[in-house]
Amino acid sequence: MDIDHPLLLQSIREAILLLDADGYISYANQATMTLTGFTAPELLNQHFSLLYPDRQDVLKREYELSQAQKKGTFIDQSWKIKKDGTLFWGELSLWPVYDARQLLAGFSILLRDNSEKKKRELEAQEREMRYRLLVEGMKDYAIFLLDPQGRIMTWNEGGQRLKGYSAPEIIGKNFSVFYQSSELEKRQPERELKHAQETGKYEGEGWRVKKNGSVFWAHQLITALYNEQNQLIGFSKVTRDLTEYKEREEILRQSEERYRLLVEQVTDYAIFMLDEKGKIISWNEGARRIKGYSAEEIIGKYFSIFYPEEDIQAGKPPTELRIASTEGKYEEEGWRIRRDGSRFWATVVITAVYNTQQVLIGFSKVTRDLTERKAGEKALRDSHDRYRRLTRELEGITTELSFKNQELEQFTSIVSHDLQEPVRTIKSFLTLIERKLDATADEALWGYIQKALLTANRMRELIQYLLHYTQLGKEELAIQTVSFQELVQQAMQNLKTALESSGAEISVETEVDVLTGDPVQLVQLIQNLLSNALKFMDTQPPRIHIGCTQTEGQIQVAIKDNGIGIAQENLTKIFEIFRRLHTKQKYEGTGIGLAICKKIVDRHGGRIWPESEPGQGTTFYFTLPARSTLNQVTL
Amino acid sequence: MKKYKIILVENDEDERFFMKEGFHEAGLFDILAEAENGDELLAWLTHPERTLPDVILSDLNMPGKNGYDILAFMKANPIYASIPIIITSTSSTPAFREQCLALGATDYMTKPDTFVEYAPFARTLYRRIEEKKGV
Repeated sequence: MDIDHPLLLQSIREAILLLDADGYISYANQATMTLTGFTAPELLNQHFSLLYPDRQDVLKREYELSQAQKKGTFIDQSWKIKKDGTLFWGELSLWPVYDARQLLAGFSILLRDNSEKKKRELEAQEREMRYRLLVEGMKDYAIFLLDPQGRIMTWNEGGQRLKGYSAPEIIGKNFSVFYQSSELEKRQPERELKHAQETGKYEGEGWRVKKNGSVFWAHQLITALYNEQNQLIGFSKVTRDLTEYKEREEILRQSEERYRLLVEQVTDYAIFMLDEKGKIISWNEGARRIKGYSAEEIIGKYFSIFYPEEDIQAGKPPTELRIASTEGKYEEEGWRIRRDGSRFWATVVITAVYNTQQVLIGFSKVTRDLTERKAGEKALRDSHDRYRRLTRELEGITTELSFKNQELEQFTSIVSHDLQEPVRTIKSFLTLIERKLDATADEALWGYIQKALLTANRMRELIQYLLHYTQLGKEELAIQTVSFQELVQQAMQNLKTALESSGAEISVETEVDVLTGDPVQLVQLIQNLLSNALKFMDTQPPRIHIGCTQTEGQIQVAIKDNGIGIAQENLTKIFEIFRRLHTKQKYEGTGIGLAICKKIVDRHGGRIWPESEPGQGTTFYFTLPARSTLNQVTL
Repeated sequence: MKKYKIILVENDEDERFFMKEGFHEAGLFDILAEAENGDELLAWLTHPERTLPDVILSDLNMPGKNGYDILAFMKANPIYASIPIIITSTSSTPAFREQCLALGATDYMTKPDTFVEYAPFARTLYRRIEEKKGV
């Protein structure tokens, strides 16, 4: 073998070796020494497997040599070993070398240290692996690659979880399987890819379909992928299930909507929002109704538009906002201006509104029109004033009446008193005349004198009753607890003569032991009623029954006679003063007795009434409040 | 039996006449004077060299100074304050009686039914004065 270009080979910076036909090193250049660390003597006549970490594997080396021989070239990339034992990634190219007779003379070797490249390659592989694992392991995101046509090239666990497909099921299919038919009709998948291709990415939300047919609300991001030559090689697609988030958002939206509708539809209050500068940013129905502006007209304007000129000049609107922002709230009542320029009396509450970070974002303003209420209050006041005027007038009238009444009583009292005097004088002189008449005097004269005396007596009696009647109204009642039996006995004692002469039978029956009242007046009352019963008799002897019963809260006394009775039409007349139903000739009387009875019962807070039919006798009833209530009667 | 010196005050001339008759008949009083009303009574009392009465009997209702006026001025004057005054009237109304007693009257007596009954009245008056003195 003639190899005679040592200088040339020595100069080449790549390791170059020559092997004999059996694989033993016959030559190695300087670069080989540098790369492997072996010296020339250490290499020469050594099998080239010396350069491999597994030096025993001569078989593999023989195979490689035979491959090189067969194919003309064999390139081996594998770990090689240096003299000091360190490994390096070597690319070993083998070429067969033939002599002039075309017989195999040996092999030439070019050995390159590719460790750096290999290291980078390995690192890249590792990185890719990490990313792949990362992507595959993502459970909450479906992350996968599409080819430029939209066919699915990779799949991860998130994809499986989200969409229900396993990798073998889905890889190779078009990603449009995730879309609803309505979207497929609109060619939504294609449009998304087109958009991603044109702008670099597509981002959107929508309903997507799972393998089992159910849908979920997806957020998706499609990114177009380009290689170094700027050719589109596909898309990455990241999908996230936002169903829960969507539901929460929907709940929040509905709740906000409810509040918004609620506020918008309130009609009695103007409720609106101001931004932190006082610009109106929302408006409701109440505000429209009260202030007259539509939402379109007013939103964006400053709320000072509602204030009277003088308030604006006084700087009230900003002052109110300042107070609201420092104290949280501002409240007042005052005049405000409607769109048509009219004024209304408003109650206003301005409340500072803060966001969750406690930053002032504006104010809520609630205004109510109190004009009507004010008008109502005024009407009430007016009516109250009217009422008070009436009351005063009434008080005046009452005072006047009471004065008149007093005057009348005084008049009656004086008249009756003063009338007594002349009657007494007349009676005195009639008595004197009677005394001077001697026994021989004319019979008729005696009669005249007697009649004049009787009349004078009668007149005196009338005057005394009248006086008594007026006195009844003036004197205080001396209220005491008295035995009913005693009252009756006293009255009967006073009427003893009349009772005896009439031969009356009187029966008394009572459920009540004691009454409360003025004993003098009660005796008078019973006495007058008894006397009345005795008086109005025909021929039969009077039978009188006195009964006393107690019902709820009152005591009722009944005095029943068997006399002439009272005609229905006269029942109400009998208590009128000086009212007499009969002539004096038939039944004696002054016409004051029953009027006195009524006055006594009235003053005791009771009631008196007769029940009667002509010829059937009469029963007089009167009631008195039971003990507990009598002291409440104003007398 | 001690006779009381009395002044009668009564505006009605006839009544005053019968009153005097009755008092004489009863023989229990010396009538010091008669007066038509309070004015005359005051004029009599204030005249020098007058002997003060033991008792005054006065009507209530009279023109000029009436019974209430008499009580008022007599009780207000220390010289006369101790003289007993008995008011008499046709009215038996308790209110009048109470008012008179409140003003300082020693007693209140309803006048007799007729003028001719003043003798018994004078006897009753005497008895009541004695009773009051006894107290």
